[in-house]
Amino acid sequence: MSRAQIIFIRLALLALVLAAWEFLPRREIVNPLLLPPLGDVLSLLGNLLQRAQVHEAIGVTAAEVVVAFLIAVPLGAALGVLIAESEYLGAVFKPVLFYVFSIPKSIFLPLFILVFGISFAQKVAYAAFTTTFVVLISAATAVESVKQDYLLVARSYGATRAQILLRVYVPSMMPLLLEALRISMIFNFTGVMIAEMYASRTGIGHLIAGWGENFQMPELFAGVIVLATVAILFNEAVRFFEARCSTWRT
Amino acid sequence: MQHVANLTRTGIDPAALAAPRGESAIEVDNLSHVYAGAQGAVPALENISMSVRAGRFVVIVGPSGCGKTSLLMMLAGLRAQSRGTILCQGSPIPNPDPRRIGVIFQEASLYPWLSALDNIEFPLSLRGALRAERRQRAEAMLRLVGLEGFGARFPHELSGGMKQRVSIARGLVQDPPVLLMDEPFAALDEQTRMTMGHELLRIWSMTSKTVVFITHSLTEAVYLADEVLVMSARPGRIIDRIEVPLPRPRTYEMMATDVFGQLRDRIWQQIRKTP
Amino acid sequence: MTLPAPAKVRRAMFIALLLLWELVPRTGLIPELFLPALSSTLAVLYQDWRIYAEALAVTLYEVAVAMVIACGGGIVAGAVVGGVARLRELLLPVFSSLYAVPIVILYPVFTAWFGVGPESKIAFAGIYAFFPVMLSTAAGIRTIDPQFILAARSMGATLTQQITRVIIPASLPAVFAGLRLGGALAIIGVVVSEMLTAAAGIGYLVTLNRTILDSPRVFAALLMILILSVAYYMLARAIESRMVVWQSAERSPKAVRGEVGVPISAAA
Repeated sequence: MSRAQIIFIRLALLALVLAAWEFLPRREIVNPLLLPPLGDVLSLLGNLLQRAQVHEAIGVTAAEVVVAFLIAVPLGAALGVLIAESEYLGAVFKPVLFYVFSIPKSIFLPLFILVFGISFAQKVAYAAFTTTFVVLISAATAVESVKQDYLLVARSYGATRAQILLRVYVPSMMPLLLEALRISMIFNFTGVMIAEMYASRTGIGHLIAGWGENFQMPELFAGVIVLATVAILFNEAVRFFEARCSTWRT
Repeated sequence: MQHVANLTRTGIDPAALAAPRGESAIEVDNLSHVYAGAQGAVPALENISMSVRAGRFVVIVGPSGCGKTSLLMMLAGLRAQSRGTILCQGSPIPNPDPRRIGVIFQEASLYPWLSALDNIEFPLSLRGALRAERRQRAEAMLRLVGLEGFGARFPHELSGGMKQRVSIARGLVQDPPVLLMDEPFAALDEQTRMTMGHELLRIWSMTSKTVVFITHSLTEAVYLADEVLVMSARPGRIIDRIEVPLPRPRTYEMMATDVFGQLRDRIWQQIRKTP
Repeated sequence: MTLPAPAKVRRAMFIALLLLWELVPRTGLIPELFLPALSSTLAVLYQDWRIYAEALAVTLYEVAVAMVIACGGGIVAGAVVGGVARLRELLLPVFSSLYAVPIVILYPVFTAWFGVGPESKIAFAGIYAFFPVMLSTAAGIRTIDPQFILAARSMGATLTQQITRVIIPASLPAVFAGLRLGGALAIIGVVVSEMLTAAAGIGYLVTLNRTILDSPRVFAALLMILILSVAYYMLARAIESRMVVWQSAERSPKAVRGEVGVPISAAA
């Protein structure tokens, strides 16, 4: 199938879903109280995006996402590189990581609340905590992915450590690093959302949780659409760069 | 019914199975094949004609992409040709028929969840043959390929050469008169290749099968074959038929002789000429 | 200086952790409010074991049903989408884009639709686990060697035989990985949703006791969840390695990421 056909079919599927969202509730085939028609949601969306309260919430959430990311990425990367570079540390900690991934990290939320109270710091700390693990694993994988052959060739030509780092590791890992960034952001965003929905006085997650509790369905869906769109846009943007960088990968 | 009789046999009786010398095992008449590529029709094979007498070891050599594998797929009944006829022992091959034709691929393709013995039994179990007979037959094949005692091993516990031996045993287990082999030793290192080639000739001499063998290796071709068919680059045609007059059983020493070298050379010259 | 064996180090770390958990709160370095001593936690667990057992039962029920949805649906969907080239081209990128959306934001929708009972948790956890299982199965299906089918055909296998004797056994590793993943994610999904809005279950106990600042009870619930998830992981791995003997059990971080490069693991 050609690219054009693929894109066309996907758009058609999307249109189908959106159309169903509009018509089923309007015709009352589906209860419009539970699923407001798409039209209503979208017009409300425009209205919402103009409210100061919503702007403030977006600001808070965005800040949390960014700060948590800025903490988690260097921390996770450093730990990940450490585990990948040291065979011993790797042997000790890698099996642990698998257990760690099976554990719902949300259970540590109460801990963060106890320590930081319900605050900006609590949410950032929690999100950073969850994201660090993902960055760690991705970084370790990225480092390990640099083929031994590449390193051998570089060393046999007398490259210095810095040169090897810059001219072999970085280009080789770039696609994986970008992907790590993308995946980490997904987890980061999720972490912030969970924290805001669980215990928070500000932020989009808090707003959404509130709307849900009060059965304000149009607002709720509007919020979901906005968040989903932002998440997907960011994801695709990074994916685009990833694809650009990895043309040489098999 | 002869097939059923074969299954209950404990060993292989070549005399009962081999078609009388001189009878044609495989007849290919004016075979052509065109397939639909991204930019229109692509001729893959052109006017291939060949006749393989029963009990002969024929090797097909050719450059990459010349269509040798496609030709083999058609001989096996795994793919249909655009034009021309293929007859095996006088009748066409619309579908794979493991009782007539055994196929051995480049990748051993042994099923990793089955032991070596179970892998060899696999074709028989597809036909619903009885347990005891399957076992007997499979063990006989295992002995034949020189892997007695390794039946319980799993593919991941076997070396490349051993896996190919199991693959050969699997191809032989239903005692087909014809054996098609698509570069079976290509994935092995050269030393193992030489040993396996020797082994294959030993097994062949004990079973009198008709073999069509594909390879890239000129040395392998001359060493193994009664007759070498040289194919051109795409679209594949048969550009030369070379008889290999070396006596059997073949030995490693023959590889050092002038005759061997000349035959190799001749094949190479032919292949080089094609664009 | 030779370093001690990794396994010993891990064991030592684990024991040290337990010791710290007991001693640090006792010495007052960290207030008991933040970290109740291990003994207080265990005492409460023993005391209120009926309450915790009941909650655990609710949670396990929700996990089980969510698993059926996520694994049943996810494995089948993954096999179909991953196996059929057209569908794969069309849909797989779409699904992995959808994966970028934090599913948790849909949870209020489910509570509004299904109420605070088990249904909303099951729906949420089911969907939460569905995507990764589907993506993982789709990736796994692709690793099946196409030569297997060719070989089967050359041996005269009928279509049914190709499916039952070749495709199904060859897919077992992917299926088991999917089951392991689905269960782990179902547990996480259920726990998160119970913590957010619920009337029963272990996650609910966490939230309930947190709001009344009863730390030992909070930690007792946390401990139960920890044990549950670790136990599940160990069980799943044990079954998987028993069933899938020929799989190279190379457990590198890559395994956590899956072939499509999507880290198929927990966000919550």
